[in-house]
Amino acid sequence: MIEAKNVTLQYPDGTVALREINLSVKMREIVFITGPSGSGKTSLLKLLMGMEFPTGGTLKVLGRTLHKNEMDKIRWLRTLMGPVFQDFRLVKGRTALENVMLGLRFLDLPLEEMKSRAQEALFKVGLQHKANAPVENLSWGEGQRVSIARAVARKPAIILADEPTGNLDKENAQNILELLAASSRDSNASVIITTHATHLIDETKGRIIRLQKGAMERADE
Amino acid sequence: MMKYLFKNTDYFMKEAKIILSTNLLSNLTSLFSMTLIFLFLAMVVAGWWVSSHIIEAIQDEAEINVFYPETLTATEISALLEEIEVIDGVREARLIHAEEAYERMEEVLGKEAQVLTYFTENPFSPFIEVNIQLEDLDGVLADLAQLDKINYVRDNREVLEDLRHLAGIMQFLGYLVVVAVGIATLIIIAHLIKLGIDHNREHIKTLILLGAPDSFIAVPYLLVGLLLSAGGGVLAAILSIFALKYIYALTAGPLPFIPLPPLGNITVNLFLFVIILSALLGLGGSIFGFSTAKVK
Repeated sequence: MIEAKNVTLQYPDGTVALREINLSVKMREIVFITGPSGSGKTSLLKLLMGMEFPTGGTLKVLGRTLHKNEMDKIRWLRTLMGPVFQDFRLVKGRTALENVMLGLRFLDLPLEEMKSRAQEALFKVGLQHKANAPVENLSWGEGQRVSIARAVARKPAIILADEPTGNLDKENAQNILELLAASSRDSNASVIITTHATHLIDETKGRIIRLQKGAMERADE
Repeated sequence: MMKYLFKNTDYFMKEAKIILSTNLLSNLTSLFSMTLIFLFLAMVVAGWWVSSHIIEAIQDEAEINVFYPETLTATEISALLEEIEVIDGVREARLIHAEEAYERMEEVLGKEAQVLTYFTENPFSPFIEVNIQLEDLDGVLADLAQLDKINYVRDNREVLEDLRHLAGIMQFLGYLVVVAVGIATLIIIAHLIKLGIDHNREHIKTLILLGAPDSFIAVPYLLVGLLLSAGGGVLAAILSIFALKYIYALTAGPLPFIPLPPLGNITVNLFLFVIILSALLGLGGSIFGFSTAKVK
């Protein structure tokens, strides 16, 4: 699903965010990327989403090499991904259901299926009763769950979650991780999760990659 | 593309509504400006169409008057009429007796016709009224000059030339205003669309990250541009119809001889013209605004 060979990311100001990353992620695999702030976790996710591009090495996602001058390909790849953003990126003034449906609008789905998938995803995250609530009226944790519902409703090939357990208590954090793991099982998705919460990782089955100053420090199989 | 356009109609309409209500005051001001611009356009175009119609009507009835010596006998006048009728470009030649010329002047003068009573004798001479094709005017005049028994020929060349010149000015003004309105509308709509995009930058970025195609992201903004411009067009078209009715009412009384085109035709054509043009300009402005906004 994902193949990174000697991937380096250096920003125009000279900062090296990632150096010589080698990574292979298979179908239905769950990978946790850990490391302190500034270690390159979010930069790696940005690379996988085509928000940034390697300045060295090669990166293949779903068999396609990512180049910044091939935006149509990147756009297509993004439709196969379920991103969970650290700041959720929910659209204000719209309901939870509308936000989840937003991720499905331009996929090749009939309207009825869009609605049923969105409702099902909200049910999975336990927010079916908040489907018609504007997202600005939701709590921080509820907003995060809507964001996850938006990602899993797409039945993506890859789920990319940036700190989905941040600011959650242990029980809710475990629920979120279990939810993402269930999505992986349901839709054969690979899941890549960046997290600080290393104490939660042992309780789920997944590979841990530790980043330190942009380089891979440890990759557990 | 068409498939997701139709199935997402509810989404696009709601997004357009939100974009419009977000900058409501600014959008209302723009709608008002657009209405005034299109009203100005409608009035100039109406002036252009009416003047062209008048010119055409006058050209269709282009006439020259041929005066002959009053000493000619009836046989000689008939012979002269026959000679004139066969000239290329002449549609019809008709003898107007002095009495008919007097009656015509009475009709033209209306209430002022009493001045004619001061004449003890009919001051008008008989003449031959020659209906011609205007484009053949020069040829007809040349052929008439070859004929004997003609005192002089009165043509309305100067009047016709003035009218033609006026119609040319109206036409030029019409084109100029269409271009100016087009540019102004494109700029206003493009600016509004850019404002809307700026306001929704985060929303757009989210859509991009989710893989939304540009066309999907653009539709609500195109709708907003279309609604504002066509809305201004509709209002302007309605106002212009009222204005035209008023102008017609003003003109019909004191200037009944002006061959104005039927009001119904001109209002329908003007209504369709302004609405279609405003819709096209709205779409064009939106596309221009969206394509030049930095949304990537």
